[in-house]
Amino acid sequence: MARPSVRRAALPLVGVAVWFAPALAGGGASVYSAAVLIAILAVMAYGLDVIVSDLGEVSLGHTVFFAAGAYATALLSTRAGWGSWATLGASIAVALLFALVIGLVTLRLREFVFSLVTYAVAVVAMSLAANWSFLGGSDGVRGLPMLDLSFAGLTLTARSDRELWPYAFVLLVVAIYLVDRFRNSRLGAAAIMTHLNPRLATIGGIDPARVRLEVFLFSAPITATAGWLYAYQRAYVSADILENYFLILMLTAVILVGRRQLLGPLLATALVLVQEKFFSLGGYVDKIILGSVLVLVLAFFPQGLMGLVRPLARLARGAARRAGAAQPPATTLMEKTK
Amino acid sequence: MTADGLRTDAVLRVRDLRVAYAGNQAVAVDALDVAPGEIVGVIGANGAGKSTLVNALAGWSRGAPRVAGDIALDGRRIDDRPTHERVRAGLLLVPEGRLVFSRMTVEDNLSTAFAPLAAPGRRVYAREEIYQLFPRLRERSGHLGAQLSGGERQMLGIGRALMLGPKLLLLDEPSIGLAPMLVSQVLQTMRALARSGLSILLVEQNVRAAMEVVDRLLVLERGRVTLEGPAGALRDDPRIARAYLGAHAA
Amino acid sequence: MNLAQQLVNGIVLGHAYALVAIGWTVLLGVARLVNFGHGQLYMLGAFVTWWAVTRAGVPYGLALPLAMAVGAAFGLLMQRIMLRATFEQNLVSIMIMTLGFGYVLHGAAALVFGSTGQILETALSTRDIDLGPLWLTWQDAAIVVATVAVFLALGWTLERTRVGRLVRMVAEDPQLAQLAGIDVRRVYYGVFAFEGAAVAFAAGMVAPRTPILTSMGFEEVIMTFVVVVVGGIGSVRGSYFAGVGLGIFTALFGALVSPAYTTAAAFLMLIALLVLRPGGLSTGAAGGAH
Repeated sequence: MARPSVRRAALPLVGVAVWFAPALAGGGASVYSAAVLIAILAVMAYGLDVIVSDLGEVSLGHTVFFAAGAYATALLSTRAGWGSWATLGASIAVALLFALVIGLVTLRLREFVFSLVTYAVAVVAMSLAANWSFLGGSDGVRGLPMLDLSFAGLTLTARSDRELWPYAFVLLVVAIYLVDRFRNSRLGAAAIMTHLNPRLATIGGIDPARVRLEVFLFSAPITATAGWLYAYQRAYVSADILENYFLILMLTAVILVGRRQLLGPLLATALVLVQEKFFSLGGYVDKIILGSVLVLVLAFFPQGLMGLVRPLARLARGAARRAGAAQPPATTLMEKTK
Repeated sequence: MTADGLRTDAVLRVRDLRVAYAGNQAVAVDALDVAPGEIVGVIGANGAGKSTLVNALAGWSRGAPRVAGDIALDGRRIDDRPTHERVRAGLLLVPEGRLVFSRMTVEDNLSTAFAPLAAPGRRVYAREEIYQLFPRLRERSGHLGAQLSGGERQMLGIGRALMLGPKLLLLDEPSIGLAPMLVSQVLQTMRALARSGLSILLVEQNVRAAMEVVDRLLVLERGRVTLEGPAGALRDDPRIARAYLGAHAA
Repeated sequence: MNLAQQLVNGIVLGHAYALVAIGWTVLLGVARLVNFGHGQLYMLGAFVTWWAVTRAGVPYGLALPLAMAVGAAFGLLMQRIMLRATFEQNLVSIMIMTLGFGYVLHGAAALVFGSTGQILETALSTRDIDLGPLWLTWQDAAIVVATVAVFLALGWTLERTRVGRLVRMVAEDPQLAQLAGIDVRRVYYGVFAFEGAAVAFAAGMVAPRTPILTSMGFEEVIMTFVVVVVGGIGSVRGSYFAGVGLGIFTALFGALVSPAYTTAAAFLMLIALLVLRPGGLSTGAAGGAH
């Protein structure tokens, strides 16, 4: 694999390629639709990535943040006439509030109880969303206005998925940037330490519980922002946004390519959604495929796809080296031993 | 005895045993044999690799080291078998410190997961016999493992092993934390068992106590056998003290 | 609202909860393993029973063992695939893998059984027992009897039999159990097969009470979670009483407040318990079944 510095330099190139990808792939409505969805769901997954890959905890409740962003956006835009910037702020605020409550409650819980509790939160949220008339009950909230981020005379609206793509792309770039900054920050380092050796971390002056809470508070808004854009994209929000599908997708996105790979969640989300949109075998079979991928990767390729690529890359390098090996170094050695 | 001095009727026959953790070799023993009814002592300073050695023999190592070499019990190779199969074949380890199931009673601790087949050189002890061997355990039979004293736990650990019909008993530092009188008692019991045919590999830090009961002695330094011989001959050998205190001791 | 009738409902419901949770009690208590596919295994058990009775003409009494066999088979399959993670005690992987399994089961069941709701009717569920002003169906009574029987049998097996002793040894210290000659891997298989069979049995018994859907299972997981945690992880007796208590609470809450939010209420109660008594999750590592 190329050295980290080379990989970082390549990022802007990757960014440009991704920007033009939908156009290059035909530019049809379904292509843009898929691209926007990939971007949104990847951002959703990035929020979880920070928790799973860095902090080492499994939050099974991140769908709640996704839903919180979507519902806040839907309710405030349809019932209170709030604009897109305002709903964005509200989504982040609601997510932070939920994360604070959940985070404080689960502060001192052991790993698997934490996961159970977050899972339960998601299930309860689903039953609430389906039954509470305030949230639209089983019909959900319909008729969202189009996305309108206009300001200072600049018109920034989106009436279709093609027009939505630039905004989805920007959101994706921002999310990736934030995750990258996090990983290079003190909090990110503290998270890793807490993950690998909590006792050592404590001795080093880190409070594991506090780090956990802070990372949780950092991750929730990211996922919620994805929900915000998702609401505009679909123009309606209902309880099905809390379905297991999103959770399974997020988890797969985080582990499929490999842990802590910056572009991993994006690549994985793209793979899954491309299969779903363009090579679908029917809704239920797709479910079976997605679930199986998650299970099999964890069972047999715990390093993700990277675990397959690295040994192959090493083999390739070794072969190349052997093919191009020069004579002079060997002579020098022999001279030395003489 | 064959020409190269190896006992062919050895209960335990170890050749070229290498145990390495992440590239660092912890144990390198070229040859180790235990004859029927023999007590072989393995002594050495802390960190010499004694526990690593017996754990590797039992297939019970911590931290997944690389273990290579031939281990044969009664002529049959066991180095590719998992722990519980070695136990069923008759290789019983009584580990250091981890002796009892604390939440179970003494009586339940003295129960077997399978019914070992008695054979020549393999005596299977019934619970009643264990109580006769260690009367203290009978007194405490209804108590939980957690309520036992150090000495009682040691007896319990050995008792459970005996019920599984060992051909070879690996004892890892049975004297730790025990009062001298108890140490003596336990080791004398071991000697009596050996006289009735049980082979024992005894790892000990307490050299003097070990000397009382072992037939042969091995000294382990940094994972290698540096000294070997009959207990009687080595009893006053200054090299033993040196192995413990390092080369700086006189 | 008839308080006495609600109590009867609650007792029946509580026994159902306890029965559904029994697989988890053993799984968590013995092997310290979690199974997030629990709800889908329940759904599968319900649908296999339904299919056997309504589509294949199998008598109910035989449909139950059939469902149990299918459940056990899936339990074994799951454990086989997760073997390495189990041995490494890699809880994160196990949680996600069982979640993935559940998802696959959902998709497969929807494919095979369809996505419409079905009703499982048995000879017992359609006939009532009248006790003065109170009533319950014969199925309800059967659930109570079966639950009590299963719990007693499990408790006796764990305390009095050799198998039970083995299982307790593995629960307390799998490493030491290996030294005692126990094939720990086989015990883990057995425990997962038990979970599969037990939840299928529970499903076959309890499913006649409500319509079943291939998308169901989530509420069952939450209730099981609450039962197991409140009862003390690994405690057989605790699970029973926690289940019955939860059932009564749910019935009363449903009648007094709202039937749609009973799961949420139960969960909130659990959270309150966790927050006020974090140590109240009895034992650190599982307590070993008792």
